[in-house]
Amino acid sequence: MSASTAPFKTRYRRSLSDPDLQPRLLDFQRSWRESRDAQVQRLEQRTEQSFNELRRDFAAVKDSTLERLADYIAEFRANAEDAGATVVELSTAAEAVDYIAVVCQSRGIDLVVKSKSMVSEEIELNHELEQRGITAIETDLGEWLLQLAEERPSHLVMPAIHQKRQYVAEILGEELGRKFDPDDIPEMVASARDGLRRHYLSAGAGLTGANALIAETGSIMVVTNEGNMRLATSLPDVHFVTAGIEKLIPSWTDAERQLQLLPRSATAQTLSTYTTCITGAQPGKEMHIILLDNGRRAMRETATIGDALRCIRCGACANVCPPYQIVGGHTFGHIYTGAIGLVNTTFHHGVEEAAGPQGLCVSCGACQTVCPVDIPLPKQILEVRHRAHEEGDAPLWERVALRLWARPRLFHHLMGLAAAGSGLARLVGLVRRDHLRLPLPKRLRWRSVPALPLRSGQTLVNGRPPQRPLSNSPSTGQSVDLFAQCLADRLLPTAVDSAARLIEAGGSSVNVPQSQHCCGLPAFDAGDWETARRMAKHTIEALEGSERQIVTPAPSCVISMQDHWPRLFDDDPEWRDRAAAVSERVYDLADWLDGPGRLPDGCLSKGSSKAWTAHRFCQASNRNDADTRIDHLVERLTGETARPLEEPDVCCGFGGLTSLAAPEVGAGILERKLACVAESGCDTLITNNPGCVIHLRAGANASGAHHETLHYADFLAARLPKNP
Amino acid sequence: MTTLSDRIALFADGLQAAQGELVQCSSWDDVWEHAVALSDETPVVSPAAYEQLQRGELPDDTDPLRSIADRSVGVTVATLAVAETGSVLLIEPTPRDRAISLLTRHLIVAVSAADIVEDLAEGFRWLAQQPRAAAYATFVTGPSRTADIERSLTIGVQGPSRMTVAVLA
Repeated sequence: MSASTAPFKTRYRRSLSDPDLQPRLLDFQRSWRESRDAQVQRLEQRTEQSFNELRRDFAAVKDSTLERLADYIAEFRANAEDAGATVVELSTAAEAVDYIAVVCQSRGIDLVVKSKSMVSEEIELNHELEQRGITAIETDLGEWLLQLAEERPSHLVMPAIHQKRQYVAEILGEELGRKFDPDDIPEMVASARDGLRRHYLSAGAGLTGANALIAETGSIMVVTNEGNMRLATSLPDVHFVTAGIEKLIPSWTDAERQLQLLPRSATAQTLSTYTTCITGAQPGKEMHIILLDNGRRAMRETATIGDALRCIRCGACANVCPPYQIVGGHTFGHIYTGAIGLVNTTFHHGVEEAAGPQGLCVSCGACQTVCPVDIPLPKQILEVRHRAHEEGDAPLWERVALRLWARPRLFHHLMGLAAAGSGLARLVGLVRRDHLRLPLPKRLRWRSVPALPLRSGQTLVNGRPPQRPLSNSPSTGQSVDLFAQCLADRLLPTAVDSAARLIEAGGSSVNVPQSQHCCGLPAFDAGDWETARRMAKHTIEALEGSERQIVTPAPSCVISMQDHWPRLFDDDPEWRDRAAAVSERVYDLADWLDGPGRLPDGCLSKGSSKAWTAHRFCQASNRNDADTRIDHLVERLTGETARPLEEPDVCCGFGGLTSLAAPEVGAGILERKLACVAESGCDTLITNNPGCVIHLRAGANASGAHHETLHYADFLAARLPKNP
Repeated sequence: MTTLSDRIALFADGLQAAQGELVQCSSWDDVWEHAVALSDETPVVSPAAYEQLQRGELPDDTDPLRSIADRSVGVTVATLAVAETGSVLLIEPTPRDRAISLLTRHLIVAVSAADIVEDLAEGFRWLAQQPRAAAYATFVTGPSRTADIERSLTIGVQGPSRMTVAVLA
């Protein structure tokens, strides 16, 4: 069994055992990001439209086409057939394979040369044809290398990105019967060219995919770089096109709009080397266009998922995905890789094939920010994860942990016990720099276990006199409710207290609603919506019945209440309204301190300056278009400038349950983040979500890093004048 | 609307970014001399280029692709060029039309400066109005390339490894 077709757990272990994979993918992601951003910026300047406008315009084209798909298919078919092509609509992978095999057999064709086609990968065409005595040869260099290695693509547009040149030299050497110097890539490419050339000359058919099917003329559009597609459609007498029905677009104008987005998002090229448009069969030749459903109409009809059919297969979602960088596409996906693979695999290959990689997604939301058709991938991944959970896919420890978490009193008692235990450990010298010195198993040793403080955040707030308002504070007289967040309350109580002090410094009084616990986010993220609903209802009950604004130091809870609660209570009008009444009142602390409870500019200036930098909670940044407010807020209040941090919006690796379910992924992403922090040369790292603070602090402790990690509320509150 | 010289400059930038080269020629004779200077053998020419040049070796009638495989220098003609992207549009309905651009090592594409359009949208508008031209149309942007081995950019894979656009003005 090859590396890419083994069961998920085996693939996961194998990808981690390749020491070169992570650095190579990191280098790829960074260089892609730089060139892609430059391309997009130039496009924005030239068109005088923002990326968001451009992608939403094209997404609207895709959506309206999908709305009337049957009409556009009929138009395409009529025009393509008028131009001499044969068009067949097929429902399943097996039907598509049969069709191609039958045409080949009836014409005595035993060799097919293929240009890159993801649909042909989807239906595992090469393997199936081989069973029937027909040889299919991939002619795209990357795809050919995969075929020689009996592997699946690990990326949508860079299919062999996981292969090392030493390995390429080995498999090419075996195929071509000679030895290659792994460092002489041009020589390998030149030999591959010669090796492939003979196949074009003897093949009876050429097969290509299609990037677009243009209804108004029945044309196909294919984008390539190597020139193999043009050879595969020029030498053989039969041309097969395999394409998903979602590739339909109405017109040539739309094709051009797609090209504005596709090469820039895929390979960061203005335009790929060859953009080929073919209309109908060439004189004396045959053209067979196979329009494949294979789960696409079912996808279209599935709530939340339908928009995934906009996908133009650029691969950008993988290029910004932190877990993809750690494990690569053979693990992060099935045949389709990256974020889109986590969504569409269920529909093309079944829930079982889709389930394994689900737990690797850290829900950072980076994928949607670069998607050229604005697919709500993060939302869809959570939907698929929910479906996988419904099928009983969750591991036992996760189910037990969530059940415990969902019971506020029990959770409270367990945390109290843990805090007492931590206190004991402190007494006997087992705590260093606020973390327990425990003998952890190797796969968990990259982070320390935080020692729990004795007192919770709520206890700290209730147990001290109010902070005196700053002299020029604006919102005197207001009273707000503080939502502590369950995690911060026990693991980062100072941040909860600091948040309260900052609110008070702005002239508002702070009320801590009793019996508040968890908004339900951990269970929602894990796909366990039943438990999430229970937790959300508890929080709603604790927070409703007041007119006060609610402020929290945890932006993840704000997202949970505003984005996830409506989904949880979609079918329950009563709770939907009650949830909305609460979530409408919720403010992230930073928004509060910039908004209704605005603290004056420079009010926390101390003269002395620490070298600090800011990691921005990825989910909030990605949801709000690279929001930089915590840097701005801290700069505005302290008058001190942040040191630049590379990749400030890239996830820190916490990812809710991901860092527990797939600790190696959490560790790898954390390492990337800590390297950026070290590079910044700062001695204080601030961030805005309690989960990030806990994770970054535990990781820094384990790795011996010297910087201090703080929630920005703690960083700011330390500058408040002490009460007399 | 940009001026002709703006469009040529923009086109040159795009072509260069795609590892293509540009020469300005004042006549078809000039194009031919440029091609001849690059090779010891007679340049091969597409049927469309032959109409203009009235010389050069044409692809074989019955087996055009085999007859051209890996010839060193070939000349063809573009219908238009796109300033925005540095691309040329080749209309090549038959394999014989395509042989030169598919298989020669160094491809020379001649295009009249007046046929450089501003952007891809204009190129597509033109194409959409020519159903017969769209039978097999390719926007070519530089020589063929791959980055499939360790993302190392290698110019010249299955198509030409050098491409020069001769702008006629």
